[in-house]
Formats: sequence, structure tokens, C-alpha cells
Amino acid sequence: MTDSERQEPEAAELVRPYVITNGRDLPDGDQFSLITLVTAAADHQQRPARLSPEEQSLLEMCSGGYLSVAEIAGHLRLPMGVVKILLNALAEGGYLITRAPVARARLVDEQILQEVLDGLRARFG
Amino acid sequence: MRTLQGLAAEQQLAISKLQSKYGESVILQDLLEIDHMNSQFGRRAQSIAVLCEGWLGRQRDVASVYDVVRSAQGRIRHFQRVEILSQVDFAVTNRAVEPVALALAELLDNATSYSAPETSVEINVRAVPKGICIVVDDAGVGMNEEEKARAAKLLSSERASGVSGLGNPPQFGFAVIGVLCERYGFTVSVDSTSPYGGVRAVVLLPDELLTSMPQPKERAQTVSTVPSLNPSGPEPAAAASTTADGLPKRRRRRAMAIVPPSSETTGAPMTTGTPIRSEEETASIMGAFQRGTQSGRAALPEPAGRTSNAHDASSEGHEVS
Repeated sequence: MTDSERQEPEAAELVRPYVITNGRDLPDGDQFSLITLVTAAADHQQRPARLSPEEQSLLEMCSGGYLSVAEIAGHLRLPMGVVKILLNALAEGGYLITRAPVARARLVDEQILQEVLDGLRARFG
Repeated sequence: MRTLQGLAAEQQLAISKLQSKYGESVILQDLLEIDHMNSQFGRRAQSIAVLCEGWLGRQRDVASVYDVVRSAQGRIRHFQRVEILSQVDFAVTNRAVEPVALALAELLDNATSYSAPETSVEINVRAVPKGICIVVDDAGVGMNEEEKARAAKLLSSERASGVSGLGNPPQFGFAVIGVLCERYGFTVSVDSTSPYGGVRAVVLLPDELLTSMPQPKERAQTVSTVPSLNPSGPEPAAAASTTADGLPKRRRRRAMAIVPPSSETTGAPMTTGTPIRSEEETASIMGAFQRGTQSGRAALPEPAGRTSNAHDASSEGHEVS
């Protein structure tokens, strides 16, 4: 190896993401958003031996409680879509429990605010 | 001047960056396809370089045998037909990662090319006294004696160098493997028959090319050192600065807005005997409370899912109006 080769900035990952997903596509009815919460199913000890290292570390990561999809992707250092494909496969296999994100706080109806504002203006304005 | 394989590696890095940048987008699927094609292109370039005594590419870090096998898998067209059935807890030394992956990719390419599209190619990795064996079994038509003799010749040192003697179009898989074996000190044999009637190719990696498994990344270590949460039991107020998932625990810098700020200032003179809670303490109590509610929800996932869905529906309906 010459010096110029050693100075190469970095190499891409040895295992390519399409191999990690095994060429699977994300299903159309995608149930995962960035803030969907995921945890390992209670009986995850009986997981099969044929899970990839990525799937195993994903399950391990989720075994302590709920984690959001965004956090999982950050830790696995994989593209978001790839993580979603893995999550989808694991959820279908029953190894993961997903929970819809916490509902947004209810917004106050703009019309009511406007009416209050109008009323205040009518009285004090 | 850049070599072809160097350019392919550079392009692979660019594609990797795109994949993480547009990981949420629908174009990710296309990026994965481009990545796949680029890997095949890079492999072809590497193979030709090997035959011409050229540069194989940059050295990799130590990688597990399993990852080297998967890397090889990613370099062939029909990678989805390859199944890795067993693995070992060994890693390949950084010097040997690329040559072994390339040699294995050539074997896998042969295995998938000379077998029916609906059959799978099986890989078994076994520890043997001399090192480890990577066994590739296909369900193809196998090779006749003439083909076996040609393969054995190409895999041995008797082969002629260069691409001229490899036919037109050149069939250089075995020749490439032969050169790599000689240069890096592993052996490949293709003279046995697979249980499915096809070819059984065996790559023997000697101990010199093997090493212990690479250190797991730091997050994995954090996970292993912190005891796992007991979801059913009450959680003590944890003093650790990371959660069981290895995430840094968030510390609240200020009092939460919903807590009346007067409680501390007005309450302090009356309860002079009890010390005021520090921010960390308050945070850990809040955290314990949150984990408690979470474990409660985790125990009953079904109803929790339903209620949150109901919330969703109501809030969505509200936004629409």
C-alpha cells in the first residue's frame, strides 16, 4: 500500500444495507413513523437463532422499554428506511410491540379564540 | 489516475451518504438498487485487477466471518438466493477481508449462475482444526470431469497469468480465486458434490487469517454493563446517567412549566427540616414515575394501543374541522 491509499478518508460499510434487508421492500401500509414507539415482546427470549446481528441488536435495544423509531435508527447507524424494513419484519414475526405515538395535545378551536378576542375587543376595545 | 475499483469504492461511499441523507424518502429503494449495481461493478473491477496483478482496493477493518460472507453476498446479482445457515464467533484479519469476500463472491456468482433461479444457495460456516470452513452448496447441475479439471487447474498455481487464456467472454471466476488463494494463503476446493447434486465449494481460512471477534461498538458495551430493566417490578430512582438502552439520561435544567414555581420558594420556609430536592433528584423521580407508567402500559399493550388510537382519531378529527 502506498501513502496515498492510506490517506483515503473512509470506507463505506462492508455489509451493504440491501443485504441487511435481504432485498425486502417496505410494505405500502407503513405503520412506522419517526415517533412510533417500539418495544420487544415479552417472550423475546424465544427468538430464533437466524436473526441477523442488526435484528438482534435492535431487539436488545428495545428490550428495556419503549424506544422511538428515530432513536433506534440513530443507534443502529442505518438509513431510516432500512430500520423500518427490519422493524416491520420483526413486528410481523411477533418479536416487537409497537405503539402509536402519543396523541398530540388538542388544539383549541381557532373560531372560539376569535370569538373571545372579538368579545374582549367589543367590551374593552 | 484512479483505478476502476477505487472509483467504485468512492461511489459506494457517496451512495452510502445519500442513503443516510434520504433514508426516509421513497428514493431509498432506488438508492439501494444503485448500491447493489455498484457493488457488482466494483467486484468485476477488482477481479480484473487481481488477474492483472493490480490493486485490490483499500484495506478494511477486522470483520466477523459472518459480515465478510454477507459482504460477498452483496456483490452478486442474485444475492437474495443466498442463505447463511450457520456462523462462528471468529473474525477475519483486516488484510484478508477484501480478498476472502471477493473470492467468496466469485464462488457465489458461479453457484447462483449455474443453478435454477428458484433454488437457494446455502452457506455453512464451521470451525475445523486448521481454521474455519465456509461451505457453499448449490442445487445446480454440477460440473463434469472436464470442468472440474479446468477449475482445479485454475485454482492451483499452474494457471497462466493474464486474461487471454480464459476464453471469450473470459470466465475468470476460478482464475481470480486461484490468484487470491496464492497471494493470501487460503484454499478453495470445488471438487465435491453438494447434497443437492450441485457443486460444493469449500473455502478454508487458516488460523493465520483469523482473529477474535472485533470489539462491539461502545453502545453495545453500555448495554451489557447496565442491568436490564425489570418491566414488572418497581424501578428504583436510578442514579446512573444512562438508561438500560445505553441512551444518555436527559437531565432537566429548569423546573417544568406545569410545576408551580412557588412550591419551592413558599414551601421552603415551612419545611426547613427537609432539604430541598436537587434538580437531579427531581428528574430521577420524574423518570421513575414515567418508567412506572411505561411498564404498566407495556404489561397491557392491547388496551393501551386501542386507547391511544382513539386519542389519535379524536385529535385528527379535530384538526380537520
